[in-house]
Amino acid sequence: MKTKKFNWSQITRSKITWAIVAEILILLVCFIIRPDFFSISIQPSTGVLYGSLIDIVNRSAEITIIAMGMTLVIALGGTDLSVGALVAVSGAMALKLMRWDVLEYNTPGDYTVYPFFLVLLLPLVTCTLMGLFNGLLIAKGGMQPFIATLILMVSGRGIAQILTNGKQFTTMYSPFRMIGQGNLGPIPMPIVIMVVICILMGIFVRKTAFGTFVESVGVNRSASRLSGISSDKVILIVYALTGLLAGIAGLIYSSRIMSNDSNNAGINYEMDAILAVVIGGTAMTGGKFSLVGTFVGSLIIRTIVTFVYYFGIVSEATMAFKALIIAVVIVLQSEPVREYFAKRSEARAARKSA
Amino acid sequence: MSDEIILEMKQIEMQFPAVKALDKVDFTLRRGEVHSLLGENGAGKSTLIKCLTGVNHKTGGQIILEGQEISPTNPQHAMELGISTVFQEINLCPNLTVAENIFIGRQPMKHGQINWKEINRRADELMARFHLDIDVTRPLSMFSTAIQQMVSIARAVDVQAKILILDEPTSSLDDNEVKLLFDVMRELKASGMGIIFITHFLDQIYEISDRMTILRNGHLVGAYGINELTKVELVTEMIGKDIDVIFNLKRAEVGEKDPNMLEADHIGVPGKVEDISLDIKKGELLGFAGLLGSGRTETAEMLFGAEKISKGEIRLNGQKVNFRQPHDAIMKKVAFCPEDRKRDGIIGDLSIRENIALAVQARRGFMRPMSRQEQDELADKYIKALGIKTPSAEKKIAELSGGNQQKVILARWMATQPDVLILDEPTRGIDVGAKAEIQRLMLEMCGDGVSVVFISSELDEIIRCSNRIVIMRDGKKVAEVDGATCTQQDILNIIAEGAKAAEEVEA
Repeated sequence: MKTKKFNWSQITRSKITWAIVAEILILLVCFIIRPDFFSISIQPSTGVLYGSLIDIVNRSAEITIIAMGMTLVIALGGTDLSVGALVAVSGAMALKLMRWDVLEYNTPGDYTVYPFFLVLLLPLVTCTLMGLFNGLLIAKGGMQPFIATLILMVSGRGIAQILTNGKQFTTMYSPFRMIGQGNLGPIPMPIVIMVVICILMGIFVRKTAFGTFVESVGVNRSASRLSGISSDKVILIVYALTGLLAGIAGLIYSSRIMSNDSNNAGINYEMDAILAVVIGGTAMTGGKFSLVGTFVGSLIIRTIVTFVYYFGIVSEATMAFKALIIAVVIVLQSEPVREYFAKRSEARAARKSA
Repeated sequence: MSDEIILEMKQIEMQFPAVKALDKVDFTLRRGEVHSLLGENGAGKSTLIKCLTGVNHKTGGQIILEGQEISPTNPQHAMELGISTVFQEINLCPNLTVAENIFIGRQPMKHGQINWKEINRRADELMARFHLDIDVTRPLSMFSTAIQQMVSIARAVDVQAKILILDEPTSSLDDNEVKLLFDVMRELKASGMGIIFITHFLDQIYEISDRMTILRNGHLVGAYGINELTKVELVTEMIGKDIDVIFNLKRAEVGEKDPNMLEADHIGVPGKVEDISLDIKKGELLGFAGLLGSGRTETAEMLFGAEKISKGEIRLNGQKVNFRQPHDAIMKKVAFCPEDRKRDGIIGDLSIRENIALAVQARRGFMRPMSRQEQDELADKYIKALGIKTPSAEKKIAELSGGNQQKVILARWMATQPDVLILDEPTRGIDVGAKAEIQRLMLEMCGDGVSVVFISSELDEIIRCSNRIVIMRDGKKVAEVDGATCTQQDILNIIAEGAKAAEEVEA
């Protein structure tokens, strides 16, 4: 066995390091302004953990889940713009199945028309198929991922509208409420789902050779094919998987509001997911990727949003403020800055050994 | 050639964090000479050039240009000092016109606007100087690699260069194009420019150079006039070993009774290869000769399933096979090392280890991953067996020299333990030592019972290694000759004249 030598300059060169540094800095600012930002307590009535930090992780669940798939998409050198629309499709479908009777009997209540497992299964199957559709356009049709996924980005919300005849349904079905608002022991359910998915994804890409295949196809599709990797298959799996994950995020989202909102569900999620991946150190050009980095990236995005709400920055300025912080984070991670710090620590190490 | 020294590099040292790439190397260039810089991959040629052009910053020594000490900070600065470089890969913008490419970054202006008339007129003039009659207002991508190469030289020369560095400019050119390039070089030489020429083609060195400097492992071996060393002496100096040891190759031994491993029966793809039949015995080395575009690569791709055959059939060990994609062929123990290493071979961002393990892993499918230990063992085994020069198996393959990249790709296929190994130009663009090693490896594999298909543009290596040689022309097999008895001239005649010459050779 080779032992890994602790290498400081390697750490300062890594993008993930800087993502974590950025996250800590933002949290530190929060702490300085409001020390109670970090307090976590158990809500006596429900027994669930409660506090700003918990809230950040909880609210990041949808983006984190989607970004796990987006990481692979970007590692393939692509993008998937349709994920936000799929969130809307998934929610609309779930609500439609629970409230099939809306025309005769229009009071929302603690009931579902179709069995609960279908309410969960059908939206996920639909979203997976839509992801597969993206993959087919790209792998077999040879389309640019940006254009191919733009099709569903635009039409997806329309499909969601058609599913519900343009109406917004609400439900009070309590098992459905569990997904977004329930808890497992003291931990909110979205966090549980997110953690499980992250672990499964980690196992899928790193304990099998799938991650290597994705990187290989992302770097050089032609060489990968000639080495015996079925590039098309890899592309199909990745886009279908991303569709599935967007579907899961859609269920969580609609369970939080116990309603479908085809116009607003998952809006800009594709951008946040891409951003999370990029902040996490995976290059848009494809190749090497990091799921851990993406996780941190997603947390950063949510921390910024919470920060903005928490400190009562006027809502008109929210977006600008978010953009500003993200710009700083990205600059911190840029090649020259990392190179600068890596050189400094190398020089320091050289001085020490001399 | 005058005796006036235009450039002097004294005691140049280049220390990288892990290795010393150059150790007290001297180099002098005279006005109006073509000076070849020679050495194996990794000998320090590129590093020396990079020190001169400011890509790397030397850690010791002096560079004196026309009596003044200089220290170029970057390629732009070097260019301003009069040192222009043309790299192996063409660094131009294919979507811009020829004229735009020549003047990009220094467009002549008029009233604050780009003076297109002037640009096109001057580009025309420049092209005329290179005896090229082309429309400079058309996009660069319309023209052949050779012309693109000329354009990049034209661009380099037009910036009042005193020194022109040509880093393997001929590796993608055919004979006529090389001649054109050499004419231009002679003209530039006559005008007093000093030219540093790097190439792996020994014949070209003797044809065009006045002097040569040889490097080995970052040290200076010596500088010689072109007539002071014979080719054999030159190679010996470059690799530091006696050349006979390397070139003493034995052809694979195949008996009449050995079974056919692979047979192709009238296979073809419309528009590419019309109709070809061939067979390879177990442990045989079958050479493919023919010009670029003669269909030899397409034939190899058909045998590997990278190109789907539309007629005929392929039999492996007597069994009919139907390869729809490379994966199918790999499952049946057929391997293919493609011609364009950069585009179809290496996965640049992945490590040497991952690159070597890739085909084995692909055959197993992703659900049955190789453990890290298996991968490490595989990588270490082949790094040692093929003599791949790298500090670690975790280095990115993109950071290796061409010869070492080729060995990694070869390792990828050897690791699959193939029955049939198809090698398309495995020795292109790599130095003499590595070339000989790859030839030795091919023959060793034949000895182990692997059938090897060997495609190459260099006839001498095909003749040296092959049992039989298939000669292709215009998408057809025109002849098949015996490797032990035919000569280069025979093959050239057949390629030039087609089947008629073939009959004469056979008769």
